[in-house]
Amino acid sequence: MRISFLRYFFRQALGNIFENRMVHLIGVGTMVIAFLIFDAFVLAFVNMNAWTQERGRTLTMSIYFKGDPDRSAIEDIQRELLDYPVSVTRFISKQDAMKSLRRQLGERAGLLDGLKENPLPASLEIILSRDEIDDSLPYELKKKLEGIEHVDEVQYSQEWIDRIQAVLGVIEIVGLVFGGLLFLAALFIVTNTIKLTIYSRKDEIEILKLVGATNGFVKAPFLIEGSIQGFLGGSVAMSILFLGYILVTNKVDLRIGFGALDLVFLSPEFILLLVATSVIAGLIGSTVSLGRFFRI
Amino acid sequence: MIRLFNVYKSYGAENPALTDISVEVTKGEFVFVTGPSGAGKTTLLKMIFCAEQPTSGHALVNGRNLNRIKDKDVALLRRSIGVIFQDFKLLTRRSVFENVALSLEVAGIQPALTRKRVHQTLRYLGLADKEGYYPPQLSGGEQQRVAIARAVVNNPLILLADEPTGNLDHELTMEIMALLEEIHRRGTTVVIATHSQELLAGTMKRIIKLSKGRIV
Repeated sequence: MRISFLRYFFRQALGNIFENRMVHLIGVGTMVIAFLIFDAFVLAFVNMNAWTQERGRTLTMSIYFKGDPDRSAIEDIQRELLDYPVSVTRFISKQDAMKSLRRQLGERAGLLDGLKENPLPASLEIILSRDEIDDSLPYELKKKLEGIEHVDEVQYSQEWIDRIQAVLGVIEIVGLVFGGLLFLAALFIVTNTIKLTIYSRKDEIEILKLVGATNGFVKAPFLIEGSIQGFLGGSVAMSILFLGYILVTNKVDLRIGFGALDLVFLSPEFILLLVATSVIAGLIGSTVSLGRFFRI
Repeated sequence: MIRLFNVYKSYGAENPALTDISVEVTKGEFVFVTGPSGAGKTTLLKMIFCAEQPTSGHALVNGRNLNRIKDKDVALLRRSIGVIFQDFKLLTRRSVFENVALSLEVAGIQPALTRKRVHQTLRYLGLADKEGYYPPQLSGGEQQRVAIARAVVNNPLILLADEPTGNLDHELTMEIMALLEEIHRRGTTVVIATHSQELLAGTMKRIIKLSKGRIV
């Protein structure tokens, strides 16, 4: 494409924006709101996903013993575990388990007074590093340990990770639907803004076509206008989100469940992708309005 | 240059705008198309610059068959046709210079050459000192000269004028006609649609008379 054309297109697009600045201001403002909701949703999802992945990196396994194990029974198991990436091992005797239960029950610990003997099993808690094992290993280890004479049962922390990931899966679907709707809303906004500027330039379009302008030549400034609107909407929304992120992470100590949650912002690639999405929304919006209008 | 064969144009069930029009305008000719209001003069001109398509029959302009012409070729064809309208069709938010430059900008002419050609044309039409003016600041005659400048700045093969003097007084009418004849002398084929007897009085040019969409 010739430079003179490009210069002409941009001059026209910027002229259109300036002449219809109020319409564009409202359009960009509405797009900012739509993209801000969309981007915030993506940010929340990215953080939740990172959080579960962080939690899922280690796997806790409890090995319950039959009766009260002696030192050699514990050593047998520890020997078995030498081949695995076990980072922490903690033995909880029957008495420790009872103390822990009493602590948890608090005022209602008296309920335990009637027991003739301690029913809680002794256990060995281990933490496996997930980075070094594949998905089938916890199950294999469980089976192997359950084969040892003194071991009664083995449980591991996979279940709740699976559950959270299932919830995240649902959130992902809801997010896609919700994001899709917001994208459509942004399209609708651009379509109508560009339609207004097209109407305000109806005479000009007619004259341009009469003097031999191709459809592409007439349309290009409007497409650029839509893209600029999308870019402004997307960039301002992203900037507001970043400001919000700075404010939240500096002032609020977010705690969810097991510990402090370190919020992360979107990666540069993700930021580019989201701003590019808003430009594409602007481009599609203006294409739609031009398609509807262009019957001269 | 322009050839129409048995052309009909109808907009529905009503009387057709054009009926069985067969006409030829050769290269370098100066032709008047005349007839009362509603005779089909404007429709005929619109057909030549592809703003209308024949309902039936064939139309050839500068070797292109208008029945089968593609959108892109319409644009290219229009670059070889200058059109002047009774209501001037100038952009009020653009200066005289910018209005005239439009015809060259759409063709991708370099800005330096565009400036040179626009200056030349405006000088030729006596508008050199009005370059920076906006159409509402000009008189009717000046606005029509700007419209002529826009139509001829890219040296078109054909110049079409639809009631070019309809809004002008006698003196300005003669001035505009003298300009159109000057453009014709330079080799441009000129077709003027008019119902003005003033323009036709004493002319030696060919006159195509239309009445109710037919050549009479």
